[in-house]
Amino acid sequence: MAEAIDSTYPVLVKALSLSKRLLLSVSIILTIFLGFTAFSLNNAFKASYDVTQHKQLKNYIYMLLTAAEFTESGNIIMPSSLAEPAFSTPNSGLYAQIVNQDDTVWHSESLLGKVLTLPNTLRSQPQEQISIIKLGSEQLLNLAYRVVWENNQGLEYDFTLHVSEDLKASQQAKDEFSLNLWYWLGGTGLGLLLLQLIILRWSLRPLSDVAEDLRAIEEGEENRLSQDYPTELNQLTRNINSLLDQEQSRRQRYKNALADLAHSIKTPLAVLQNELNLNKGKVSHQRQTDVQLEQIIKSIDYQLHRAATEGRTTFQAPVAITALIQKLTTSLDKVYQEKHITYQSQLDPTLTLSADEGDMYELFGNLLENAYKYCVTRVSTEIITDEESIRFYIDNDGKGIPKSAQKDILKRGKRMDTQTEGQGLGLAISSDIIEAYQGTLKIGSSKLGGACFIISLPRR
Amino acid sequence: MRILFIEDEAQLREQTKQALQRQSLTVDVAADGQEGLYLGLEYPYDVAIIDLGLPLMPGIEVIKQLRENNIAFPILILTARGRWQDKVEGLDAGADDYLVKPFHFEELSARIHALARRASGWSSPILTCGLITLNPSSQVVMQNNNEVDLTAYEYRLLHYLMLHAGEVISKTKLTDHIYEQDHDRDSNVIEVFVKRLRAKLDPDKQLNPIETLRGRGYRLNLPRPSESTLS
Repeated sequence: MAEAIDSTYPVLVKALSLSKRLLLSVSIILTIFLGFTAFSLNNAFKASYDVTQHKQLKNYIYMLLTAAEFTESGNIIMPSSLAEPAFSTPNSGLYAQIVNQDDTVWHSESLLGKVLTLPNTLRSQPQEQISIIKLGSEQLLNLAYRVVWENNQGLEYDFTLHVSEDLKASQQAKDEFSLNLWYWLGGTGLGLLLLQLIILRWSLRPLSDVAEDLRAIEEGEENRLSQDYPTELNQLTRNINSLLDQEQSRRQRYKNALADLAHSIKTPLAVLQNELNLNKGKVSHQRQTDVQLEQIIKSIDYQLHRAATEGRTTFQAPVAITALIQKLTTSLDKVYQEKHITYQSQLDPTLTLSADEGDMYELFGNLLENAYKYCVTRVSTEIITDEESIRFYIDNDGKGIPKSAQKDILKRGKRMDTQTEGQGLGLAISSDIIEAYQGTLKIGSSKLGGACFIISLPRR
Repeated sequence: MRILFIEDEAQLREQTKQALQRQSLTVDVAADGQEGLYLGLEYPYDVAIIDLGLPLMPGIEVIKQLRENNIAFPILILTARGRWQDKVEGLDAGADDYLVKPFHFEELSARIHALARRASGWSSPILTCGLITLNPSSQVVMQNNNEVDLTAYEYRLLHYLMLHAGEVISKTKLTDHIYEQDHDRDSNVIEVFVKRLRAKLDPDKQLNPIETLRGRGYRLNLPRPSESTLS
């Protein structure tokens, strides 16, 4: 169990994107912050409302005291109408009652027969006392205020003035405030979140730009990352660029080393071969030596080409394949000038393929040279592309290759060791390169009458 | 026919030179790009063979500079790497054909002859003018189906005249194309060679194959096959 938790936890955290992390944390903070704000604002409002209400009740008490007339006998005479009309309106929600000991000496007209359940007021208790009382089903806020009336003889009379106000209105006001508060804070919260989302998008944009640019490099549409990223990212992109450069130069070094190796081996071989040719016929087994020498040269050639084949790698510059084929055919037109070859092509000039340029030169150079070599007067190339692959058709009007031999040629192309003498390396090299790019090579019959080589390379 | 061969590997250079000379070709050699360029600009060669990997100046640069100076002789590039990018670059710079090292002499000489033929408008590998035929690869000259025995210089002279059949060739030009760079030249010798050639090719004095144009030079006056006219 512990293991399962250990292994899932980091995956979950890792899976969260930067923007999700930021958004999640900002939402949590915002919720807590706004929640606290709402809670304290609401409380503050309620408290201040209560204070106001208390003050209001006290004002009514003072009003009653001002209006009241105490007699020497300890009675109270209240005027028939009070300054606050609500006291005179039945069921207005504002009630007053004056109590002497337990006897009600006066009550406001608004009470109209109803009886307030009044709290006990004792001398020991403070002069003012606020409480919630009941009037039938209604709840009222009651302020009890004790006064002592001393007459001229020095006799003291205890009176308690009660002013009660219906809580419904105040509750309504508080509820309304709460509701408003929640609306406003909720709206502000949502607005802030939205704003945060936009800011996040905007700030994280360079990151997705980098990702997009890297994808373009992978697809072979670009060579390097552009330099105009925010300062924080520039360090990273500079590093990626220098990595790309290093990769490129490393590849170049590797290729140059191979080429130098080829040069250093092949020049002495050339001398040796020519020496043999100059002394031709002098020794009987020289023909055999020459064949062996030829074989060595071919193997070196083939292996070097194989080693130099880049294949598909992550960071490859796009190759303008049409221009490349055109360069090759222009060159071959020059070399095979005497054959007066008519070359036709149906190529899309904007087509690019993410591959190594050298590989593509070898692949198409060899196959096109074959076509030029074995044609009578016509060679044509055509490219058909779809979502997944690019197919190249190289046709000629030569003798063609019989069906039975087509497979053998491809098989031999794959295994150089079994190659018979006199067979060109070109097809073997091309076939290897196609394999390195996970493509296929087929031989068919051409509409021109000769052989048709169909190369299919996956786009990615 | 005079060949310029630029190759830095001494042994290969000497071997090839010898082999080409055996083919009755006049050969000048250079060991580096600068010397090669100098020779190419200085002398009228019929074909140049240029190795791409040369010291002091790369082969590609030599080709570019020759072409920039309007030097039109055909150029064959030699490359050890055999990469298509190199071949295309070389041909694009102005070369006409390529050969990958190591190579057979037969292949090299066939390419040289083909380039020279092409440059002078011949399409068939065997040169035929009237009743005279010359096979550059076997160096056999036939007159009316009889083999004609020629010395090396006579052969060189006839080969050059046949390649440029119908054109007027000055004595200086003939000298330039059949002698090596450091050879002791004497244009009077040309007259002697022409005289001997006439005697061998036209013993009955019927054909008059080589016409003398006083003060201008010589012209081979036998018709080429119609299909081989300059296109």
